[in-house]
Amino acid sequence: MDFGYPQNLSPEILKLYITQEGVRSSFSSKHVDRPVPNATLQVTGAVGWRREGLVYKKNEVFLDIVESVNLLMSSKGSVLRCDVTGKVLMKCFLSGMPDLKLGLNDKIGLEKESQLKSRPTKSGKTIELDDVTFHQCVNLTRFNSEKTVSFVPPDGEFELMKYRITEGVNLPFRVLPTIKELGRTRMEVNVKVKSVFGAKMFALGVVIKIPVPKQTAKTNFQVTSGKAKYNPAIDCLVWKIRKFPGQTESTLSAEVELISTITEKKSLTRPPIQMEFQVPMFTASGLRVRFLKVWEKSGYNTVEWVRYITKAGSYEIRC
Amino acid sequence: MALSGMRGLSVFISDVRNCQNKEQERLRVDKELGNIRTRFKNEKGLTPYEKKKYVWKMLYIHMLGYDVDFGHMEAVSLISAPKYPEKQVGYIVTSCLLNENHDFLRLAINTVRNDIVGRNETFQCLALTLVGNIGGREFAESLAPDVQKLLISSSCRPLVRKKAALCLLRLFRKNPDVMNVDSWSDRMAQLLDERDLGVVTSSMSLLVALVSNNHEEYWNCLPKCVKVLERLARNQDVPQEYTYYGIPSPWLQVKTMRALQYFPTIEDPDTRRSLFEVLQRILMGTDVVKNVNKNNASHAVLFEALALVMHLDAEKEMMSQCVALLGKFIAVREPNIRYLGLENMTRMLMVTDVQDIIKRHQAQIITSLKDPDISIRRRALDLLYGMCDVSNAKDIVEELLQYLSTAEFVMREELSLKIAILAEKFAPDLSWYVDVVLQLIDKAGDFVSDDIWFRVVQFVTNNEDLQPYAALKAREYLDKPAIHETMVKVSAYVLGEYSHLLARRPGCSPKEIFSIIHEKLPTVTTSTIPILLSTYAKILMHTQPPDLELQNQIWAIFRKYEGCIDVEIQQRAVEYLELSKKGAALMDILAEMPKFPERQSSLIKKAEETEADTADQSAIKWRAQQQNSNALIVTDQHPANGTPPISQLGPVKVPSRSNVDCDSADQREAQSNGTLTVVDPQPPSTSSPDLLGDLLSPLAIEGPQPAENQSDHNLGAGVKGDTIGEDALALAPIEEQMNTVQPIGSIAERFHALCLKDSGVLYEDPNIQIGTKAEWRAHHGRLILFLGNKNTSPLASVQAIILSPSHLRTELSLVPETIPPRAQVQCPLEVVNLRPSRDVAVLDFSYKFGTHLVNVKLRLPAVLNKFFQPITVSAEEFFPQWRSLSGPPLKLQEVVRGVRPMPLLEMANLFNSFQLIVCPGLDPNTNNLVASTTFYSESTRAMLCLVRIETDPADRTQLRMTVASGDPTLTFELKEFIKEQLVSIPTAPQAAAPPVPPQPQPTSPPPPSSDPGALLAGLL
Repeated sequence: MDFGYPQNLSPEILKLYITQEGVRSSFSSKHVDRPVPNATLQVTGAVGWRREGLVYKKNEVFLDIVESVNLLMSSKGSVLRCDVTGKVLMKCFLSGMPDLKLGLNDKIGLEKESQLKSRPTKSGKTIELDDVTFHQCVNLTRFNSEKTVSFVPPDGEFELMKYRITEGVNLPFRVLPTIKELGRTRMEVNVKVKSVFGAKMFALGVVIKIPVPKQTAKTNFQVTSGKAKYNPAIDCLVWKIRKFPGQTESTLSAEVELISTITEKKSLTRPPIQMEFQVPMFTASGLRVRFLKVWEKSGYNTVEWVRYITKAGSYEIRC
Repeated sequence: MALSGMRGLSVFISDVRNCQNKEQERLRVDKELGNIRTRFKNEKGLTPYEKKKYVWKMLYIHMLGYDVDFGHMEAVSLISAPKYPEKQVGYIVTSCLLNENHDFLRLAINTVRNDIVGRNETFQCLALTLVGNIGGREFAESLAPDVQKLLISSSCRPLVRKKAALCLLRLFRKNPDVMNVDSWSDRMAQLLDERDLGVVTSSMSLLVALVSNNHEEYWNCLPKCVKVLERLARNQDVPQEYTYYGIPSPWLQVKTMRALQYFPTIEDPDTRRSLFEVLQRILMGTDVVKNVNKNNASHAVLFEALALVMHLDAEKEMMSQCVALLGKFIAVREPNIRYLGLENMTRMLMVTDVQDIIKRHQAQIITSLKDPDISIRRRALDLLYGMCDVSNAKDIVEELLQYLSTAEFVMREELSLKIAILAEKFAPDLSWYVDVVLQLIDKAGDFVSDDIWFRVVQFVTNNEDLQPYAALKAREYLDKPAIHETMVKVSAYVLGEYSHLLARRPGCSPKEIFSIIHEKLPTVTTSTIPILLSTYAKILMHTQPPDLELQNQIWAIFRKYEGCIDVEIQQRAVEYLELSKKGAALMDILAEMPKFPERQSSLIKKAEETEADTADQSAIKWRAQQQNSNALIVTDQHPANGTPPISQLGPVKVPSRSNVDCDSADQREAQSNGTLTVVDPQPPSTSSPDLLGDLLSPLAIEGPQPAENQSDHNLGAGVKGDTIGEDALALAPIEEQMNTVQPIGSIAERFHALCLKDSGVLYEDPNIQIGTKAEWRAHHGRLILFLGNKNTSPLASVQAIILSPSHLRTELSLVPETIPPRAQVQCPLEVVNLRPSRDVAVLDFSYKFGTHLVNVKLRLPAVLNKFFQPITVSAEEFFPQWRSLSGPPLKLQEVVRGVRPMPLLEMANLFNSFQLIVCPGLDPNTNNLVASTTFYSESTRAMLCLVRIETDPADRTQLRMTVASGDPTLTFELKEFIKEQLVSIPTAPQAAAPPVPPQPQPTSPPPPSSDPGALLAGLL
């Protein structure tokens, strides 16, 4: 409070006014043609996270939905634990003070809509989101009353919302391991990986880590795609596939030779197989953006870009 | 090391060294291990060079602390390689990675033997090192003869023979039983004649080990040892490389003297003379010089020589020389040397006759008390404590008192205890003792344990001359503005008892004394308030004629405390108030405390306990033990020299004095003085141990017994079991005297204490301490014996056998043959109670210390009451039970006469302590007592026992006892058990024994030791 005016002192805004410059030399006494931002207006303005008077030639909005899948699966293929944590990331380059409205295919929004327009929801999945958190720019009163996500975005990149989904997760990969011990010094490892997302899509950077005993001495691999090798530092067979198309499967079969040790064979602890991947244009939750509307006083046209990506969180399969 | 050319290895090592953090290092090591595994698994096999390289890497990784659990095969196979570098790796890695139990070693034995018997001496050395380092049983069995051959063969170089001697030493230490050492004495003697000092040094090490095991066989080595010493001392024929800072081979000197200490004496006069010459030379020739290394070496030799001198009990002249030398040492500024000097002086105290010589250095020792180094101060304190006697006690105690105010907190408790002991032991007159202890309390009240002031009170009570003096002193201390609580306790107690003796002095009228004591009341804790209350009551009593104002004041205080939450305080307040209203009767009741019986100072015991913790303190302990009796002379008119601390021993040995009391007894007594005398004005001197009381009871054995067979059986068992127990007790002290190992504390006393509690010390002597810890669940018991070796040398031939009576099934787990130095061994003992019986199990325990065989028989505290479990029954449960068990044999009644008189409350406490829980209010007659418990045994299972005692308020020496349970044997046994606890001996003239000492500790039960059965057996 200063002279009765409430002021916004969030660090983001204050940063704008704290300029650190070197000692200005008298020779380069050029006029700094930076527009001196109107400090008073900014700190007392209603929209704390956005400056006024932004102008862009091209008005663009980028929307990314990034999901990471956490999975723990038993060796028999039953899912023990599975959830998806997702983020909606936005990048705005919009002029003026636009008002945006985002529509997703989540349950709350759709139900509300069907009530309002008194017509049945479109056929198609609706997604139930848990633990939704929004960026501060989202108008929560409107979300509570109308169940729509409407907001005045900050300029540049920010995280609009976070959510979690525990039910109805589409797993991108199925892993079927079979590990056999042949005597004291030999093991046979067979791992089959199946991609279950759409045939047009593909996964990138797939890495599968298959743990082996500490006394592994030699390994022989046969893989249908990608490359595999033994990494003694982490005691794993590491199988890397750069590009993995949808609706295909590939297998690894390895023979592992162990060295005999003096310590009596301990009951081998088998850590789970770990997997890393990225699948663009696929959401494990099935979440889709239905619309993104932009209103501005001047009524310019905007270009909207939407992107989806699914990553592996801790994707583990027991063997 | 032959690292040249192994680039992989050096690269790996530098990689590991360059790692920034542990995690990186781990990754690098894991990678390398993976690499090694792949290489070893390679079908093509490895070249010897590669093998060597990888095995070196494995060793390096192993030394970094990572697990290497493969590749041993490769290491072992390298042993048989023909080239030195490979063989060397093989040997080194094998001895590092494998231990004696690995199967891989079997593969190596043959190769190792080939190397040993081979002609290549470097290989021989490698092999000997491996054998010495691993030293497994199999190695010992198969290779010892070969090694022995190497040792004595004259064709080998000294280098090999040296290693062979050390290797044999290791094998012998590890498996003395495997090594065949019977005929080695000649060979050893022969080896000691060797010219090469290296071989002699190694052989001497071997000899020390052999001699420590069994010195008798090696008599013939003794003169040789002396000769070696002579040679060294005269510096004849000692090569330059064996001279260390001008001292000819100090190691060999030390070892030789160590070996000599294992022989008890040296009989041959010539040898003895020449040895003394050598020692003399060492003693004379050693001095403190600048060079640290030279000092260290020469002092090592010197101290070993001192130990040898002490061991040999040399002439006085030599001893005095030693002490003079040590005196020089403690005057040196170097703290290490001073420490050694003080410590060795303390050791010297063990040897007789040197005390006077040591006393000359008293001033120097006292200055050491002010040394900045605490370890030196400690040594000095120990030494002062040890050297104190009547002549110098006053000075030393004065010094210590002064020192007390500057000493560290950690030392103060020990210090104050020691001061108290010294003051008590060597007091020239008792007023000095009182002065010292009062000063002590004044200066370090926090560190003065209760025992110390209890002891002062005992002294004052027992010496009439002392009483006014003590009272006066106490009064003086009370004038100080701030005094410690312990001081308040002592002063209050003393003034309460004896302030009337001062009444004529100024400032000592009852009123003034009262007011000055009363000033302290707000500052003290609840443990002191009862003492103050007693004091007030006594002051009131002594005020003649009664002073009304004082009386009102005191009554007001009593009234105030009538509602105190602390039971002790409340009870005293109520009782004193009521009693003091009775007027003249108060006089009788609050009469002066009776004299305490003479007893061993509990302080000394305590000091012994604390000393047991610190190493090498045996000298002081021994002396302290010898002086126990001296301590008593101060007060005790009849000399009691040499009376070992024994307690009642049954009819076999009648002690002149009974020392039956323990710390706890002391404490309880001193604390409860006030109340006990009030409630029970009769001095408890009529009670006494039940030496004869049991003579009356054997008749009871012939009492009604339903099952004839069983009773016979029981009787037999009882007689048998108890004769053992009784014999044990009777014989134990005699044996111990022969053994010259005397138990610390009384065995019987410890046993009785253990009858009431579950853990404690069962037996203790200078060498061993046996503690027990028991858990009782129903009829099962688990008793853990803790055998603790207090010495720095192992105790051998340890044996423990349980002689259990027929009613107990005992199972003792294996007791190890030897107890390592300063170690404690636990032996669990399972006890199952089959039938009710009062017999006790006996532990026949023996061990060998040095050459003495010590054997003691100890009663185990697995007595009847341990199988009780307290249970409280209500009236509704009690009466039906009581009625249903009607008449003998299930319910037995007996009129017991000659009962130790005790108030009802006390009897109830006694019962409760045996887990016979008294149920108040069940019997309408307040003079009666009803108790119940559950007894567990295998035959009876859980059995409810009910007891009713009817006392006669007019004659407390007789009572009627009714015992009921569901089992006739149990009823009988329980009745006898209770009777034993209650009955005391009439002090009849027929007791030819000297007047039985009073037993002032009513709460502690008389021992259930001398069973009727046993006595019967004794009489027969």
